[in-house]
Amino acid sequence: MSAELKQKLKQVLIAELNLEDITPEEIADDAPLFGDGLGLDSLDAVELVVLIQKHFGVEIKDMEEGRPALQSINSLAAFIEAKHSQ
Amino acid sequence: MAEQVSQPRNWSSRSIGAAWQHQFFYLLLRLGGRRAAYLFLYLVVGYYMVLRPDQRAKCAPYVRHRFPAAGAWMRFIHSYCMSLGLGRALLDRALVGILGPERLRIDVDQREELLGLVAEGRGLVLMTAHLGSWQAALARVDFLRRPVYMLMHREAGDIDRHYYEHQGEESPFRMIDPTGFLGGAVEMLTALKQGDIVSVMGDRMLGADRNSIAVEFLGGEVHFPYSAYKLASASGAPIAVLFNHKTGPDSYRIELVRVIRVPREKGRQGEEFRPYVAEFVRALEEYVQAHPYQFFNFFDLWNKEG
Repeated sequence: MSAELKQKLKQVLIAELNLEDITPEEIADDAPLFGDGLGLDSLDAVELVVLIQKHFGVEIKDMEEGRPALQSINSLAAFIEAKHSQ
Repeated sequence: MAEQVSQPRNWSSRSIGAAWQHQFFYLLLRLGGRRAAYLFLYLVVGYYMVLRPDQRAKCAPYVRHRFPAAGAWMRFIHSYCMSLGLGRALLDRALVGILGPERLRIDVDQREELLGLVAEGRGLVLMTAHLGSWQAALARVDFLRRPVYMLMHREAGDIDRHYYEHQGEESPFRMIDPTGFLGGAVEMLTALKQGDIVSVMGDRMLGADRNSIAVEFLGGEVHFPYSAYKLASASGAPIAVLFNHKTGPDSYRIELVRVIRVPREKGRQGEEFRPYVAEFVRALEEYVQAHPYQFFNFFDLWNKEG
């Protein structure tokens, strides 16, 4: 997976979700995005789906795609790369 | 102030009646129709109001705010009427399930406007509240000819039947569990993006949703959820505020009381959604003023602790 893509994902998350006091380096690639990890909630998930489409041109169409994709930076990056390669 | 509150829920979807009591009323409906069931309902509600102060207390917060000038006796009467209203709504719902939808006349106002909103193709958020017989009412929006997703959680041990369960039918709605993955938020967004309809309750926090904003309602601050407004903003879907009330022994009216449009890219903060939440709350307050015994909230909305 592209380190560049993961870095951009982290930057987008921090900027667009207004994550204060956190830098991209502090977000672990495999940390859970929701709950105990990054601490995002369901509203952030809505925002995230919109952001992924806006910044990466990739649409999460249903929960079958959404559930595995929205786990961590790693899973999101893998999802975006897979979509781009289709 | 918008805030994320940690709300220990002090309400339950579970019925206060035992299973046999439900069965008794279902039998009454089958054998004697609505009148027989209503007759017993007067007695049962009387029992709960006179001999079960814990149940009467559940009516108190709403009654106190809706009828601030009422004395003790009138508060008792209002509590009785409110509980009777709920009992009738539940019986009417069961009646539709047991004896068929033709036993209840449900008029829908502003049908064309609702069809126009769906035709926009950006999905539709149907925002309702705990008013009238909201489930039976929602069953009548089938004329919109789009799948309806309903955000609904059923607690373990809840014996109250939905109307379609009486005939063993499949739910006409596609259920989204607010206690599921990410509170069902992504499922709702997906449905809206498909142009489908998502029905939410605008007057109550559900599941793991902690996103609320305090708005004045009946003379006190109440936390209302704003997630649905965020969904509308993200998807571009209009919000149709759809309320209903009982108009006669066998009739209800569904009214489109507001269309709320939330601009896109409103951001994440609750304050962004205050005008839209306030618009819904104004509509709810007007409706509750007009139909005081059709609003069924038996927990303390005004309690900041919960």
